[in-house]
Amino acid sequence: MPLAVYTQISSVIPDASRARKLQLLGILSGFAAGAWLGAAEAPTKLVSIGISPMVISLIMVIGVFLARWSLPALILGTSSVRADVRRTPHLIIWALLAGCLWAVANTLTIFAIRDIGLSIAFPLWNSNSLLGILWGFLFFNELRQAGWRRWAGVLGGALVMCAGAALLAVASSTAAPAAHSLRGVWAALGAGILWGTMYIPYRKAYLTGMNPLSFVTFFTFGELGMMATLAISYLGLAPLWRELTSARDVLFWLMLGGFVWVIGDVFQQYAAKYVGISRGIPLSNSNQLWGLLWGILVFGELHGRGVSTYTQVIGGSVLMMIGVGAIAFSSAIGKEQMRWRDAAQRESQRYGVSADYVEARMDGRQAAGELKPSRSALDWFVVAVATGIFAVFATMARAPRLSFHWGPAAVLSAATLALLLVCGLKLWRTTRFH
Amino acid sequence: MKATGPDLNARGWWTSVLSDIHFWVPVAVLMGGLLLLRFIR
Repeated sequence: MPLAVYTQISSVIPDASRARKLQLLGILSGFAAGAWLGAAEAPTKLVSIGISPMVISLIMVIGVFLARWSLPALILGTSSVRADVRRTPHLIIWALLAGCLWAVANTLTIFAIRDIGLSIAFPLWNSNSLLGILWGFLFFNELRQAGWRRWAGVLGGALVMCAGAALLAVASSTAAPAAHSLRGVWAALGAGILWGTMYIPYRKAYLTGMNPLSFVTFFTFGELGMMATLAISYLGLAPLWRELTSARDVLFWLMLGGFVWVIGDVFQQYAAKYVGISRGIPLSNSNQLWGLLWGILVFGELHGRGVSTYTQVIGGSVLMMIGVGAIAFSSAIGKEQMRWRDAAQRESQRYGVSADYVEARMDGRQAAGELKPSRSALDWFVVAVATGIFAVFATMARAPRLSFHWGPAAVLSAATLALLLVCGLKLWRTTRFH
Repeated sequence: MKATGPDLNARGWWTSVLSDIHFWVPVAVLMGGLLLLRFIR
């Protein structure tokens, strides 16, 4: 790294209106993340029972892997990913680590649901937002000099969301197995700790200037590698293969779930970038609300349940919306933004990354001298291969026979697509996806 | 903007990662998660 590029990140906010715009963008990304992460549950509901949870998770991760390469190739081009890696090679290690954390957490949730049921497990692992606030404060100067109102908004909002999540989970649970309750509680808490800690690499990457679209392409190697290792070690190679071939009718639906999940995760990454992990995680945790809307309205999950169940659903939804609102109105401005810049300065010096580059990326723009991202034949090849694989599995898929309400599905799909369009356009116009 | 000296020329980015306390927190949590998975299995 030449000496000339080493500079110090400006200690003053260059443009307060730009900072506010980026905060709003981060909050909008958090909302879009919640909607898409929630919608990702819909295709998985089409899958009938009888497949090992480990296999379901592995197939979804294969869909995720395809999406994590094809979407960045389509949006910015792999040349942008290569340029980011040349500037910040150390972040490959962080991305792989984050992917491994995700895979282990996801596997733990399977055991948690099996042992204590969704109603207890979901609120326990949703505590990841509280851990995210702690890590954000300790390591990345988030909420420092933010004032008590913002503290109350973020922490109070996260706690209210946890309470709302608990109510929703109780309402949506259909059974409460308690064969190994203590083991299930540990699994759910473990998943929350792993997911809460996974955001340390996220924040590290975005404070150092890496583009979220570049980060996810390496994240997915950790994710798929760890998930494949766990599936093989749990089931064995031959039984795993047998399960995969016997489940070929539903592989497409699971992979589609993975694809939709990636769109939500990309928005989540932009939320973590522009509002930090203390605010980004709770905002994207609103996915539970969207998941429940799909379950109730489209798949008729709570049909015939008592008034108390619907009271819990309405109460939990209202609490979640209050929590989301409190966090959304507690954006980081003023002195807190300057503390973020101190953290970015520290990362820039530690890893020898050009301060100009870090500062430009924090402001959601390209650094001077950076080449404009462009797509090459390789990018179209990646997109074509991913599309082809999805098309092949789609030809094998069978539409399952279950209760499906088209009207609410159309409304929810339209709302989710509207968020994609609005947030995607806003990201493009404000940051060109940086 | 004021110029400051780089500290990465003297040591590779691997050393920078391994000497970063932020790195060991997720690593420790990952190890704990794998142990927990082994335990509950």
